[in-house]
Amino acid sequence: MKYVILIQSNPQPWGHPTSDYLPAYQDQTQEERDRGNADFDAMLRQLSERGELLGGEALGDPATSRLFRWADGERVITDGPYAEGKEHLAGFFLIDVESQERAEEVATAFSGPGETVELRPAMGGGGDAD
Amino acid sequence: MATPTDPDAKTYEQVWRAERRHVLAALARRHGDPADCEDAVQQALLAAAEQWPREGMPQSPRAWLVRVASRRLIDQVRADEARRRREEVVEQQERALHGGASRPDPPSEHEPTAVADDTLELMLRCCHPAISPSSRVALTLRAVGGLTTREIAAGFLVPEATMAQRISRARATLAGDGARFGSPDTEELAERLAAVRHVVSVIFTEGHQRSSGDTVVDEAFADEAIRLARVLRAADPDDPESSGLLALLLLTHARAAARADHAGDLVPLEQQDRTRWDCALIAEGVRLLEECLPAGEVGPFQLQAAVAAVHAEAACPQETDWPQILVLYRMLDRVAPAPATTLALAGATAEVEGAAAGLEVLGRIQDERWHRPYAVRGHLLRRLGDEQGAREAFATAARLTCSVPEQRYLHRLVREPG
Repeated sequence: MKYVILIQSNPQPWGHPTSDYLPAYQDQTQEERDRGNADFDAMLRQLSERGELLGGEALGDPATSRLFRWADGERVITDGPYAEGKEHLAGFFLIDVESQERAEEVATAFSGPGETVELRPAMGGGGDAD
Repeated sequence: MATPTDPDAKTYEQVWRAERRHVLAALARRHGDPADCEDAVQQALLAAAEQWPREGMPQSPRAWLVRVASRRLIDQVRADEARRRREEVVEQQERALHGGASRPDPPSEHEPTAVADDTLELMLRCCHPAISPSSRVALTLRAVGGLTTREIAAGFLVPEATMAQRISRARATLAGDGARFGSPDTEELAERLAAVRHVVSVIFTEGHQRSSGDTVVDEAFADEAIRLARVLRAADPDDPESSGLLALLLLTHARAAARADHAGDLVPLEQQDRTRWDCALIAEGVRLLEECLPAGEVGPFQLQAAVAAVHAEAACPQETDWPQILVLYRMLDRVAPAPATTLALAGATAEVEGAAAGLEVLGRIQDERWHRPYAVRGHLLRRLGDEQGAREAFATAARLTCSVPEQRYLHRLVREPG
């Protein structure tokens, strides 16, 4: 089963790892930060060793995005983030794991203060109606 | 092959694919480490690719490959032993210096196993409990099926590098557990056989479910699963669950041609053109069931196969013997309770006792994120005349499914009132 793990964040200024630029992270003690980073690294290593990590990317500043839309039958291209949301997509991981439980375990390890992590199943090509 | 011939590359490919697992099994019996054996077989295949086009295919390709692969393996083992001796010398020197603890006993040679068949032996190895279920599937396809890593990756729609990582990780786990890995004892054997049956059914489902994409790979998976199921049954014809598994795969595969329409969309069972079902496969599956069902212990594979057989024996959907299917699903619900079984039970209950009774069974399913109960609910509500409720249920199912063809099918049900 494939899942996407979406890392939502809104660091000021925009930068990766997003945690370094978030007040909620900066408020933590060094020890807490080190533990969080170690947990994350351990999970990432495990994913890679087990062949569960399919890919992932950190994304650029939402301000650098261009939006392609249609209005009144015309193509409209505009700058900038789609929504003035408090959080933006900061990056994503694509994983292939045995179960929803495992996916949730991974997403838990990827979540940290000041960020929202979203877990979504990926659409497959096939099906099994009979 | 009676005389040396000079066939084209495709013929070589067929010969390699057919012989690879025999060569691998022959090597594995003498030497425990599957990764070493695979490397040696790979080297033998490379040598064959060079020599056969030049000198013609040998009279017995299998003997040739075993000979060459063994030689490579022996070279490898010699090199490893030389290294170990060097390490032992160093260790003895250290022990002499420090008076340290004694070495553990070296891993014992393979004990003879009750299971004679090469392929089965390899399958049992690949289904070691230390390996995760999905890796068991990958390793079985690689080591026993002779599929390439690329083909397996394509079958599971993951990058080749990911699949390579998964397989090498599984091999490393086995190598680490190497000494105990050779031959499970009788008690463990039963458990391991159940794991092998599960792997075979997963391989089959993977090949059989996908109606789009690379059909060649899909077929390879389904064919491979049926071949492995035949091996399982041949190894122990008295094991009713192995017979049940083979029967289930044959009866399901018999419907393959009717399962998708020209657009690649799935056609539900009741709408399938039954003249396109494969009579020979159905006959074989039914015969197997008739042999194994009276044998005693009735397990989940036999029960599922029995349901498939009841469907297969109906000339049209209206002739389906639903009371019998209901009995079978009630048995399955007792033997192997699972949400999927409850769902099937709900469907069969609706056919026999009416849609309202079916809905009641459906209510036992807790998972609110699972799309399939909503789809069944839609059908049952539609039958009860609750068109609004039916449309809502189908829409929810369409939103929740992760299968593209299924989503198209469910959206059609929302649009087209029954």
